[in-house]
Amino acid sequence: MAAMFSQNPLMNGPNYSISDAPKEDAPEGARQHRFDPYTDNGGSTLAIAGDDFAVLAGDTRLTSGYSINSRHHPKLFKIGGTTADQKDATIVLSVVGFAADGEALKERLDTICKMYRYRHGKPMSVKACAQRLSTILYQKRFFPYYAHAILGGLDEEGKGAVYSYDPVGSYEREQCRAGGAAASLIMPFLDNQVNFKNQYTPNSGEGHALQERERRPLTRGEVEVLVKDAFDGAVERHIEVGDGLQIMVITQNGIEEVLLPLKKD
Amino acid sequence: MDTLVARYSRPAYHENEVLSEQEQQDFTDTVPSLKFAMPPVAHPSAWLRAATDDRSNPSCPIKIAHGTTTLAFRFQHGIIVATDSRATAGTWIASQTVKKVIEINSDLLGTMAGGAADCQYWLAWLGMQCRLHELRHKRRISVAAASKILANLVYQYKGMGLSMGTMCAGVTKEEGPALYYIDSDGTRLAGDLFCVGSGQTFAYGVLDAQYRFDLSTEEALELGSRSILAATHRDAYSGGSINLYHVKESGWEKHGFTDTNPVFWKTKLEKGEFSNVTSSLDD
Amino acid sequence: MDHRPQAWGRPRDDVYGAYDASYLQTTGPKTATQAPVVTGTSVIAIKFKDGVVMAADNLASYGSLARFTDVKRLRPFLSTSIVGFGGDVSDMQFLDRHLNELAIDEAYEHDHAETPSPSDDSTTTTQPPRGQLNAANLHKYLSKLMYRRRSDFDPLWNQILVAGLDSASKPFLASVDLRGTTFSSPSLATGFGAMLAQPIMRRFAATEEDAAKLTREQAVDVVKECMKVLFYRDARSLDRYSLAVVTKDGVELREDEQLEKQSWAFAERIRGYGTQTV
Repeated sequence: MAAMFSQNPLMNGPNYSISDAPKEDAPEGARQHRFDPYTDNGGSTLAIAGDDFAVLAGDTRLTSGYSINSRHHPKLFKIGGTTADQKDATIVLSVVGFAADGEALKERLDTICKMYRYRHGKPMSVKACAQRLSTILYQKRFFPYYAHAILGGLDEEGKGAVYSYDPVGSYEREQCRAGGAAASLIMPFLDNQVNFKNQYTPNSGEGHALQERERRPLTRGEVEVLVKDAFDGAVERHIEVGDGLQIMVITQNGIEEVLLPLKKD
Repeated sequence: MDTLVARYSRPAYHENEVLSEQEQQDFTDTVPSLKFAMPPVAHPSAWLRAATDDRSNPSCPIKIAHGTTTLAFRFQHGIIVATDSRATAGTWIASQTVKKVIEINSDLLGTMAGGAADCQYWLAWLGMQCRLHELRHKRRISVAAASKILANLVYQYKGMGLSMGTMCAGVTKEEGPALYYIDSDGTRLAGDLFCVGSGQTFAYGVLDAQYRFDLSTEEALELGSRSILAATHRDAYSGGSINLYHVKESGWEKHGFTDTNPVFWKTKLEKGEFSNVTSSLDD
Repeated sequence: MDHRPQAWGRPRDDVYGAYDASYLQTTGPKTATQAPVVTGTSVIAIKFKDGVVMAADNLASYGSLARFTDVKRLRPFLSTSIVGFGGDVSDMQFLDRHLNELAIDEAYEHDHAETPSPSDDSTTTTQPPRGQLNAANLHKYLSKLMYRRRSDFDPLWNQILVAGLDSASKPFLASVDLRGTTFSSPSLATGFGAMLAQPIMRRFAATEEDAAKLTREQAVDVVKECMKVLFYRDARSLDRYSLAVVTKDGVELREDEQLEKQSWAFAERIRGYGTQTV
C-alpha cells in the first residue's frame, strides 16, 4: 500500500497481474508514423455575453514558432447563413489552437447548420448549435481537434449566449470566456471586470464582513472598451498575439463586424 | 477485370477523397452517429495518451478538462449528491462554475469526475437510452438498469483512453434510493456511500466520520456540503462552488450552487472548525 | 484509469503502457518514417495592383547536395492560377499529376456545361468562364486535400503557394502546408524565404492597400531583389529561377531566369569564419 502515497507514482505505481498493455506488432494496414499532426498557431479569442447582445473577439495574427505567417487571419466565423458571405447568419464561432483543425471544425459546423436549415426550413438555435458542436468535437475524442472553440449568439429569449468548449467537447454556457495563447492573461481580467470577482463595496464592513460588489450586466459600450483593453494588455505581454483585432457583435439586428488595429511588433 | 476497368474509367484523382467519412456523413445523417474518428496509427490509445496526458507530460499539446471531487450517499429520505465545480487543464483552472451534477432526466442524476467531455457526452447518451426504455416499456427505467447500460457501454471502450468516474443516483418504487458507481474501467458497484475524484480521500474523511443512515434531510444536506468543503480546502484540484442535490422518489431537488469561500469562513468563524487557518488580519 | 488521488482519472501505466513522449516529437531530430528527401527551397510571392508575382529557383536538393539544377517548381493551372511548391519534390510531382487530371476533368465538364449560347453575348471574357475553378477555389481544394492527408498521417511534405484572382477578380494569394494550415497575406514566402524575403516584401506590401498601389514592374523588381538575397544567404538555393506573373489576362511564366547584377563585395567584409584572424 505504500505506493498509494508515493510522491512519484509513475515509478512505483500499483502493479496488477492482468495487463492490457499494447502488443508490439502493428495491426494490418496501420501506419507506424512519428509525424506530429499538430502545431500551435497562437492567437487569442474572447467572448462576453450581455443582456441583449453577445460580443466575440479575436486577434488576427497567425504564427508558427517565432514566425508571423499572416497578420490578417480571422479567427471568428459566422455560422449557418444561407449564402457564401454569411450575411444572414446569427451565430458566431471562434477557434484558436491549430488553425487547420479550427478551419475543419468551422466548415463542419457550418455544413451541419446549413443542412439543418435546409431540412427544417428554419435557422438553428444557438442552444441546438452548441449541443451539436459538442458532439462534433466528441466524435473526434480519440483523435482530437486541437482547438479551443467558443460559440456566441442570442438565445430564445434574445439574451446574449456564450458557450465555451474544451478540445473534446465538454461545454458550458458562461458569461465570459477567453481562449488561446493569452487566455491565462485575459481570463483573470475578465473575472474581475465582468463578474466583479474580488471587488467589494468600499466601507461596507471590516475584514470578512466586506460586502461583495453587486453584479449587473454590462452595457455594450462597456463591453467594447473591455475587449479592446483586454487585447491591448495581451499584446503587450504575449508574443503570439497582435496585428489586428476582429470583433463581432451579435444583436437582434444581425452581426456587426469591426476590425481594429493592434500593435504589430 | 471489372474492377480494373472501374479503376481506370474515372480519373485517378478521385481516389484522393478530400472529405473524411465523418465530414461526408454531415450531409446525410440527421442524428450524429456513434462512430469515432481514430488516429491512423498502430496504437491509437498510446498516441492519444501522448497527446493528452497532462500528468505524465505537463506540456502535452491537448489538455482535456478534468473534474474533481464528487460524492453521493444514501440515507433514509433518499440520496444526497454533492460536488465541487472546478475544472482543471494541467495546473490551469479552466472553470470554477462547472455543473458536475448531470441531470440525466427528472428522476436520475449522474456525477462528473475525470474527463469532463466523457461524462457529459455519455451521460447525455444515457439520458437518451433511458427515454427510449420508457417509450418501449411504458415505465421508468430502474437505476440498476440505467447504470448497467452505462457500464456496458464504457466497457466496450475499455483501454481506449476514456476517463470517467460517475455515480448514478435515483429513487424508484422497486428499489428505493439506489446508488451506483460506474467508472471507465467498466467497474459498476452498488453502495450506500461513494466519494470520487482526486479529492475523494478528504471527502471520505468527513463523510465516514458523521454518516448514519437515519440522518435527517437537513443533517444530510449539511454533511454533503461539509464533506465537499473539506475536499476543496485540502485538494488543490477541487474548488469553486458546492453543488448540492437531494434525490427523492418524486424526483430530484436542487439545493443551491454555493461559492465555497463564504461557506468556508462561516464554518470557521461560527463553528470554530478549520482552526489551522488564522482569521486574524494582523498576523 | 488511475484511482489514486494524486493521479486520479489519468491513464494507468500497466493498462496503457508507459508514457511514450516520442509520439509528440517535441525535441530532437525528426524520426518520421516519411520525411522529405529531395527538396525544393523557398517560394516567394507578392500581390500588386492587378495580379500576383511569384518566384522559385530551379534547384532540387538532396540534403546538402545540389542534386537537380533544372527542376521547375512553379506550375500554372488552367491558365488562371499559378501554384508554387516548396518541400518534397516527389510529393510535388504527385500533386502536379493530380492537378493535371483535375484540370483535364474541369476543362471537359466545363466544355459540356458552358457551350456559349448565341443569345447570351453579354459575358465578359476577362475572367475564367463561370463555373471554372479560380485560384481561390483551387486553394480551397488543395487545402482540403492536404488536411485529409495529414489526418491520415500520410502528409504531402510541401508548403504550397497559390496565386491568381478570386471570384471578385481581385488578386489572390494564399498558402497551405503539410498539415493543412492555410493563410493569406499581401506577400508570402515559404521556407527560408519566410525569414529572409518576407521582411523585404513587407516593406513594399505590408497591407492590402499598399499592395494595391504597387505596379507590375515594381512587384517584379521586389521579387527579383528577394531572389538575390535568398541566393546570397540560403545555402540550398540557385541563381537560375522561375518567375510567374498572373493577371486577368492569364499566366506569364518564364522558367529560365538568371539572377543579374550580383555583388559579392560584402563577402570581403565578413570576418570570424575560416582562417583569417583580423
